[in-house]
Amino acid sequence: MNFGDLPKGAMRTITTLWMAAMLALAPQVAAAQDVAAADTVEVADASADVAATTEAADAGAGYTPLGPDMIKGQPEPGAIDFQPQYTDDGEFAYKMHTYLLVPVITVISLFVLGLLLWVVVRYRRAKNPVPSKTTHNTLIEVVWTLVPVLVLVAIAIPSITLLARQYETPPEDAVTIKAIGYQWYWGYAYPDNGGFEVISNMMPEEDAIAAGLPAQLAVDNRMVVPANTPLRIQTTGADVIHSFAVPSLWFKIDAVPGRLNERLLTIKEPGIYYGQCSELCGARHGYMPIAVEALPRDQWEAWVLSKGGTIGEEAEIAVEDAQSAEDAAEAGDAEGVAAANAAAAAE
Amino acid sequence: MATTAENFPVHSEDHGHDADHKPGFFARWFMSTNHKDIGTLYLIFAIFAGIIGGAISGIMRAELAEPGIQVLGGVVTMLGGEAAFDQNLHMWNVLITAHGLIMVFFMVMPAMIGGFGNWFVPIMIGAPDMAFPRMNNISFWLTVAGFCSLLFSMFVPGGTGNGAGTGWTVYAPLSTSGSAGPAVDFAIFSLHLAGAGSILGATNFITTIFNMRAPGMTLHKMPLFVWSVLVTAFLLLLALPVLAAAITMLLTDRNFGTTFFDPAGGGDPVLYQHLFWFFGHPEVYIMILPGFGMVSQIVATFSRKPVFGYLGMAYAMVAIGVVGFIVWAHHMYTVGLDVNTKMYFTAATMVIAVPTGVKIFSWIATMWGGSLEFKSPMVWSLGFIFLFTVGGVTGVVLANGGVDDALHDTYYVVAHFHYVLSMGAVFSLFAGFYYWFPKMSGKMHSEFLSHLHFWTFFIGVNVIFFPQHFLGIQGMPRRYPDYTEAYAYWNEVSSIGYIIMAGSMVIFFVNLAYAFLAGRKAGDNPWGEGATTLEWTLSSPPPFHQFETLPVIEDHHDYHDHRPATA
Amino acid sequence: MSTVALEQKNLKVAIYAFAGALAMLGLGYAAVPLYDLFCRVTGFGGTTQQATEADADIAARLAQSAGAREISIRFDATTAADMPWTFKPAQVTDKVQIGQRDLAFYTAKNNSNVPITGTATFNVEPEQTGAYFNKIQCFCFTEQTLQPGEEIRMPVLYYVDPAILQDENAKDVEQITLSYTFHKAAQGAAVQGEKAAQKPES
Repeated sequence: MNFGDLPKGAMRTITTLWMAAMLALAPQVAAAQDVAAADTVEVADASADVAATTEAADAGAGYTPLGPDMIKGQPEPGAIDFQPQYTDDGEFAYKMHTYLLVPVITVISLFVLGLLLWVVVRYRRAKNPVPSKTTHNTLIEVVWTLVPVLVLVAIAIPSITLLARQYETPPEDAVTIKAIGYQWYWGYAYPDNGGFEVISNMMPEEDAIAAGLPAQLAVDNRMVVPANTPLRIQTTGADVIHSFAVPSLWFKIDAVPGRLNERLLTIKEPGIYYGQCSELCGARHGYMPIAVEALPRDQWEAWVLSKGGTIGEEAEIAVEDAQSAEDAAEAGDAEGVAAANAAAAAE
Repeated sequence: MATTAENFPVHSEDHGHDADHKPGFFARWFMSTNHKDIGTLYLIFAIFAGIIGGAISGIMRAELAEPGIQVLGGVVTMLGGEAAFDQNLHMWNVLITAHGLIMVFFMVMPAMIGGFGNWFVPIMIGAPDMAFPRMNNISFWLTVAGFCSLLFSMFVPGGTGNGAGTGWTVYAPLSTSGSAGPAVDFAIFSLHLAGAGSILGATNFITTIFNMRAPGMTLHKMPLFVWSVLVTAFLLLLALPVLAAAITMLLTDRNFGTTFFDPAGGGDPVLYQHLFWFFGHPEVYIMILPGFGMVSQIVATFSRKPVFGYLGMAYAMVAIGVVGFIVWAHHMYTVGLDVNTKMYFTAATMVIAVPTGVKIFSWIATMWGGSLEFKSPMVWSLGFIFLFTVGGVTGVVLANGGVDDALHDTYYVVAHFHYVLSMGAVFSLFAGFYYWFPKMSGKMHSEFLSHLHFWTFFIGVNVIFFPQHFLGIQGMPRRYPDYTEAYAYWNEVSSIGYIIMAGSMVIFFVNLAYAFLAGRKAGDNPWGEGATTLEWTLSSPPPFHQFETLPVIEDHHDYHDHRPATA
Repeated sequence: MSTVALEQKNLKVAIYAFAGALAMLGLGYAAVPLYDLFCRVTGFGGTTQQATEADADIAARLAQSAGAREISIRFDATTAADMPWTFKPAQVTDKVQIGQRDLAFYTAKNNSNVPITGTATFNVEPEQTGAYFNKIQCFCFTEQTLQPGEEIRMPVLYYVDPAILQDENAKDVEQITLSYTFHKAAQGAAVQGEKAAQKPES
């Protein structure tokens, strides 16, 4: 349902003056974003291609950023329902909410409202001047204890199923992306693809509007992932707690400094899915959006190569071989080390 | 016992000359040891804090009325800071922190427990005063000192700008390494003071209720409001020290190099969240249980019918209090709990709906067959029952760990807890206020203005908070001063609701002024034969010292008649 | 009841109440070591276990007789925002037989021009595998000090307990991520850390 295009109220005119003040401040956002990126050690491509998403192609490597027509996960003006879901778990959860929880809570609320209206009308003093003295009825007390229990059990069963589904562990060959929360931007590392890290800042409002993207959700460098592929999303915080959240994927996991969190995510189709940091992390908490860009596998691989990353096992195996050689050279230092290397050699 | 209003029992005690002897102004109000005076002080304090907390939410709704940052710069300047982009955003965090802490610790708790609890618990159990009158006074002034410390924190540096911008939850490491400057220290100190005051208060209530009941007033004959304060006092006593420990550790982490919650020294920020919510979840019941008690008294009074299922009602509160201690991690579903933990907390949280349901249905059953009179306290109570139900059922939605992945830290949560607090707790506060105002002041308020206040407030808060469900479902995160254009529509509606609510509060203050300036004199019992608790046997306002001779409550084999035997 | 008797009785209840509050305060502080212990014993939150060589031998024999499968291990490295080190695993993933010991290496380099003592926090993902991930040796057991520009290789000797195959929630896990985050050690601990780290492993 859409109420968004109904006429705006009088408050809009009252606050227009403030809008002007805000616009005057806007350039400061842009300036501050660039500073942040320079702090990181592992920046593969800091601000070199800021706003590259708005350009046609990137380094001629066969990767074309998706345009505004591919935005699938974003809030709709005046909407009253969830954003459309693009994961299986999201669809399951959405159905559970829409077809079980909402009807149940609506019926309960209306039932209570109905009873209240009934007693108000039926037992008002004018109608019922002499009150009864009933204060006990064991049967009804048992009923109103047991019926809620049954309703809750009916809710708990799909709820537990949903949890079990969300906690399915990623397969070994899932694509791993590590989302790192910084004050106040995100870094996305691709450890299986050469370990490069993409720094993702909010796009300045004017740039976003010029590119036809939603302001405060659009970012300079998106988290690009393959669609229809299991993703191992790992999160951690570099300074304070952040939270990686994308509503249209029914996905939210905190990025806690000093620990790693992990969840499985499989996006069903290519598109752009917007989210926002969902744990208070300081002044610019509201200005570190998340943009996930899901691409068909081959296009995603092209993107990885354009970032100087690697695809497939080759790179990784090369590293591993060198590693075991080194290990062998060092064997004999300690009993444990030797034992472990023997095990490794047996492989 | 079928006493009617016409031959309402005479006072069982004889007020001697000393009964109304009051000390001088300073001694009476600053060194007070009288439970009624301290109750009055708490109520005045809560109203004052409520005005400040409410004004802050007004600033917040003005800022959120449309996208962009409009009013925060002005607030920074007003508070003596220098407006700049980051400082303005920090001010937002300071405002949400202050709003949360003020409303929880300095409005709802002082009003319910300090105000109504102090006023009516001793009277309802037939005691002359609280067990420790001087400690009672200390509790109050500690709370005031805590409030001052919190307000002071807004004027000293707290990292990016002045004030503590950590949220009321004060999560580490944002509150430790993430907030330089003394503001967060003052905010923490404020919680220490308020917490210490509440622990002393809780001890006082427990002692009073256990030891000072009038002869014949057994535990199972106590009015439900006294039961609710007893359960609340136990929750305070067991939950607040855990908060005190957690925030003291924050303080030493900040200032003395300890690393309780700092991973660099082997600490764990998630542990802080466990400790905070081990306190925080009982805290939400601390805020609502006395409201349950008040609504029980009021519904029975205006139905002219004893409370239905008295024992069930009393033990439902005990059950809520106990279960409230084992559900805390449902506030932490997204921190990285494993699947079994999340399933446990999902199931345990839903269990709370059962005793809560018992209470809702018992209130309705109390009215069933009654003779309902819609005086102002009753309409506020009816509003409470419905709106608390709405807030409760969205709680069942949020209890589902899997569903919460989409709703955690969104406006849906904001809507949920404002339905149970801003409508639950506050509606019961107004119900209790209108119920007892004639008793406390000796003046009648205007029923017309009270009803007008109710209807405008009812519409206002629903217009504020119902659309916030939609915003949350669409994904708008909490604690955001600014948002993308798509969220503009419902935010604007919500801000319009605030204006209605603010107008409604003007009616409340007009009503207060009217009552004091032109209100009719209140009789001993303005509410008729349904009002059976002991306070209605006293004059309005009650004598400075009541029950110098203890009333004797006869055994009528009736849970609901708390009046002394008629002589 | 006389006033004196009532006052005594009140005092008694108040003392009980304060004792209760004090006990909860103590419990608040006790939560720090208790939580730590709880995590270490149950593997809560993906806390790894510490094992001896003897434990490892038993696990290896058990796994041998049960014919345990292979499992993939991912090595993850993070540095805190204020930590001027480059810290990474020597290999991103590795395959090990469940129950068999394996040695993995991380490298750390101090990019600053002052000596820095670091300490590492760690956990494994998925969380439910924490109880089965055993470390025999780890650089995370002590603090590490790196001189300016110094680079070291740091070993972890670990095995996956074959009991994981009996756990309904963990038996299907195909890959365990072992994650470390290096932080600057707290000031006071730095001196001790230097001593502890005098012998950088291999």
